[in-house]
Amino acid sequence: MTMRSTIVAEIEAITRDHDKTMPPLTDDMVLMDTEFDSLCFALLVARMEDHLGVDPFGTMEVADLPVTLGDLVALYDRAAVANAA
Amino acid sequence: MSEPRTVIVTGASRGIGLAIASTLAAEGFRVVAVARRSSEAFEAAATAAPAGSMHFMACDLGRTDALQPLVRSVRVEHGPIYGLVNNAAIGTPGLLATMPDHAVSDLVHLNTLAPMLLTKYVVRGMMASGSGRIVNVSSIIAFTGYNALSVYAATKASMIGFTRSLSREVGRLGVTVNAVAPGFIETALTEGMDESERERIAKRSALRRLADPDDVANAVAYLVSDKARNVTGTVLTVDAGSTA
Ligand SMILES: NC(=O)c1ccc[n+]([C@@H]2O[C@H](COP(=O)([O-])OP(=O)(O)OC[C@H]3O[C@@H](n4cnc5c(N)ncnc54)[C@H](OP(=O)(O)O)[C@@H]3O)[C@@H](O)[C@H]2O)c1
Repeated sequence: MTMRSTIVAEIEAITRDHDKTMPPLTDDMVLMDTEFDSLCFALLVARMEDHLGVDPFGTMEVADLPVTLGDLVALYDRAAVANAA
Repeated sequence: MSEPRTVIVTGASRGIGLAIASTLAAEGFRVVAVARRSSEAFEAAATAAPAGSMHFMACDLGRTDALQPLVRSVRVEHGPIYGLVNNAAIGTPGLLATMPDHAVSDLVHLNTLAPMLLTKYVVRGMMASGSGRIVNVSSIIAFTGYNALSVYAATKASMIGFTRSLSREVGRLGVTVNAVAPGFIETALTEGMDESERERIAKRSALRRLADPDDVANAVAYLVSDKARNVTGTVLTVDAGSTA
């Protein structure tokens, strides 16, 4: 599975469990503009930590927070590389 | 029989934490006790407890960079974490005006910062699994006054504010967050207090005696149990009526 497909699968599972309706999950989708709220986001971070053993948000500045789905995937890709190094 | 559920109890090498660990083990949980070092009292309690129900992991909780690795190793060795009891704390007394800055900062570090970060890492797994129990050990000194304990009191009050708001955050996911507020309990933390002061507190309490570590442990065990499924964001005082 690619990083993108893992993240998309988790977002789909979380939104299904919490009755959220989402627009198509494209790379330029702005997460904050959807029903994917802060609690959903916290769940995503928890589940991604389970998969990858990394949490890129522990040490991040607000300015670096991902805006779009594409940014989020890129952030996790970088974190996974840094963790493997 | 289903697998026992894992509960982390911090500061469980002695005092109230050890009583909490023994009580939870007797109630069928798998307890992971955390402190800087184990103790004879803990080893004796683990031997007396049901086989495999009490485990020890050494960690200095004041080293906040050790908290996430600690949570990871508990999950690897003992499975998903169902409960967390934030009990470890120090009670350094001192008049604020003359307290060394590092003593103030050590109190806040271990009593407030460490439980918040530990909870952050533990609660994620609970959120993902849709169930969990968090119990924060506060103190009646969080809401009554006590000479020479202002910094300690502030750290214990912080646990109550933390409890209430966090319960709102995670309630939707089936996780409860509560606090217990013990009154004066005889442990290593309070051994510096003189006998007459102890008697004075006992005499003033509604029940004319002091609560002991097992009383606090029973309150915690209730909040961790399935019976408390509809109790969250609350503070349970265990003080033999000293603040009644
Ligand atoms: N006793 C009372 O009258 C009373 C009243 C109200 C509330 N409380 C609260 O009850 C809780 C327990 O108090 P207690 O009286 O049982 O205290 P205690 O007998 O002094 O035990 C404290 C426990 O915390 C551990 N601990 C201390 N520093 C630590 C560190 N840096 N990292 C990891 N573990 C550490 C200790 O083990 P190590 O030293 O080996 O690390 C020990 O297991 C505290 O939250 C306290 O505020 C107590």
